[in-house]
Amino acid sequence: MELLLANLAHGFGVALSFDNLLFALLGALIGTAIGVLPGIGPVATISLLLPITFGQPATTAIIMLAGIYYGAQYGGSTTAILLNLPGEVSSVVTTLEGYKMARNGRAGAALAISALGSFFAGSVATILVAASGPLLTEVALSFGPADYFSLMLLGLIISAVLAQGSVVKSVGMVVLGVALGLVGTDVQTGQQRFTFGIPELSDGLNFAAIAMGVFGIAEIILNLENPEVRSVLSTKVGSLFLTKEEWKRATPSVLRGTVIGSVLGILPGGGASLASFGSYMMERKLSKGRNEFGNGAIEGVAGPEAANNAAAQTSFIPLLTLGIPSNAVMALMVGALIIQGIQPGPRMVEAQPDLFWGLICSMWIGNVMLLVINLPMIGMWVKLLQVPYKYMYPAILTFCAIGVYSINNSVFDVYQTVFFAVLGYVFAKIKMEPAPLLVGFVLGPMMEEHLRRAMLLSRGDPMIFIQRPISGVLLVIAALALGLMLLPGLRKKKEAAMAG
Amino acid sequence: MRINAKDLASGILLVALAVIGLWLNTEHTLGSARRMGPGYMPMLVFWLELGLGAIVLATAFFGGTDPLEKWTKLDFVTLFVGIGVTLVAYPLLAAMPALQANWYALGIAMAIGFAVLAVSPAWRPLAMILLAMCVFGVLLEQGGLMLAITSLVIVSAFADPTHRPLGVAGCVVFLLALCWWVFIYELDIRVNVWPVF
Repeated sequence: MELLLANLAHGFGVALSFDNLLFALLGALIGTAIGVLPGIGPVATISLLLPITFGQPATTAIIMLAGIYYGAQYGGSTTAILLNLPGEVSSVVTTLEGYKMARNGRAGAALAISALGSFFAGSVATILVAASGPLLTEVALSFGPADYFSLMLLGLIISAVLAQGSVVKSVGMVVLGVALGLVGTDVQTGQQRFTFGIPELSDGLNFAAIAMGVFGIAEIILNLENPEVRSVLSTKVGSLFLTKEEWKRATPSVLRGTVIGSVLGILPGGGASLASFGSYMMERKLSKGRNEFGNGAIEGVAGPEAANNAAAQTSFIPLLTLGIPSNAVMALMVGALIIQGIQPGPRMVEAQPDLFWGLICSMWIGNVMLLVINLPMIGMWVKLLQVPYKYMYPAILTFCAIGVYSINNSVFDVYQTVFFAVLGYVFAKIKMEPAPLLVGFVLGPMMEEHLRRAMLLSRGDPMIFIQRPISGVLLVIAALALGLMLLPGLRKKKEAAMAG
Repeated sequence: MRINAKDLASGILLVALAVIGLWLNTEHTLGSARRMGPGYMPMLVFWLELGLGAIVLATAFFGGTDPLEKWTKLDFVTLFVGIGVTLVAYPLLAAMPALQANWYALGIAMAIGFAVLAVSPAWRPLAMILLAMCVFGVLLEQGGLMLAITSLVIVSAFADPTHRPLGVAGCVVFLLALCWWVFIYELDIRVNVWPVF
């Protein structure tokens, strides 16, 4: 306990430095902005800003990128409540009750409870990250190569199982991502694999080019093909203060949302959107008999909004302690760390205490900032919604182009982005979820390393993966997860949950 | 027969990529399970992908209907002509000594292909956005950042029919100023700002 306090004090020292405060604020502002704006999400934004973070120290860079992710959870609710449009995938369910509340003249209350709920959940989740970090790290240090391989396999399978759409297709996307990760120089023999003699590919495909192409540019094209109608804002925000009755109903929902969000955030493949769906389902079940759901029940705003922010924070746990990204945003964080020369993994807590504790403390500071950014300044964000998309997309495109070029000063990377934009467009047209691809791409090379080491240790005997207790248990869980999803009943339930 | 066209296409894509991957992998030594060569992991990965692709393909015939969007004749023609022109143009351009550096041949060949694709209205958002990226790539090193951004914004503006010249001009000026401030003044990336001759 004393150690934890000392570490937190150290973390606050790091997080409160001028630069880190500035970039936490910058991240929170950008995050809120892209959260408010439909049509651009955290994955695209973070990949867009990756190149900009190269010049900064690793801690500052990660603090800013993290701010974007949880900032987007705050911003997304604003659009959902006021315009009935999800600003972010994770606020899809907020439109269900939030917009109805706005129609009933309680827009202010809905906005207030989602910001306050998010803040509470974010604070709890931050403490959870701080407490579980060193604990899990201890466990992770006893992992051998076989255990690591199985853990990553479990992560990949669960992220595919929980992704939207068909499980087999998602697993296919994971494997495709792993395949893309094979391009480049083989680490152990130095042989070039799948490079077609192109020198630019000897370091592998450009991570930012894949992320920007598949998530950034393909998104733009799809948005231009189906222009959304953004209704002019007619709802008044009204009073931000909640009535006593509303407090009484919302508080337990926030508490439940925090718990659900924290748990679903840690799961590989989980994250903010899954958490908000889960929380909404639970609130609807629990409130049976009240018949208010569908007509602006405050529980349906408070729970999911708390849950998505809690999940955004706790999804850092597997990344910071095991070095395993649980979703596409975390895969981008791994990319950012590797570019900075830091190998994410259990040694990070000891080797990079500034980064670990600084990030945790800055998360809490960021949540305080977001509360201020969102509640009193709500009018400013509403104005942002009046910027038409046709003026936004050239800016996004320009930043993508310059950003991807500046990583290696290579025009080839710009053309790689074009290639992956086409691929991302095709994926969207044939309903293949791209998020598992990115996770597979990041984990693939690490898995190959661990597989080779494990098999060398066992002299080529694959039984090592079952005989080692940790690895065996992980593989059983992976098999169970896969098996359960192939059962038709459960699959239908998942589809219903995803459809809201 | 109720065929799920989207699943069918996904299955074909996965199987095709797996087959290409396995074929390319024949030039790598496999090694043994104990001492894996560079070809061992790719072999596992592509066989797995082939299997998954086959499952997706098979389920496409039982998954209920989910058709792809309707394509007009023009969509088909522009797509095939566009791909064809790119494939013909690339080796021709790559043979020219003036275009050896900087992947000019690749950029110009792709730009021509996307320009052909843009003839069809249904492809226009895709074609104009990616054409804009290619033009940016071709112009950046010799033409400098300012010229490249200007062209990128103007070309990409054609992707949205509601754009008007004045609005595009405003966009260009704003982005030139913003990018100069962020990328040149603050980050100091190594790139020519103005054209070099």
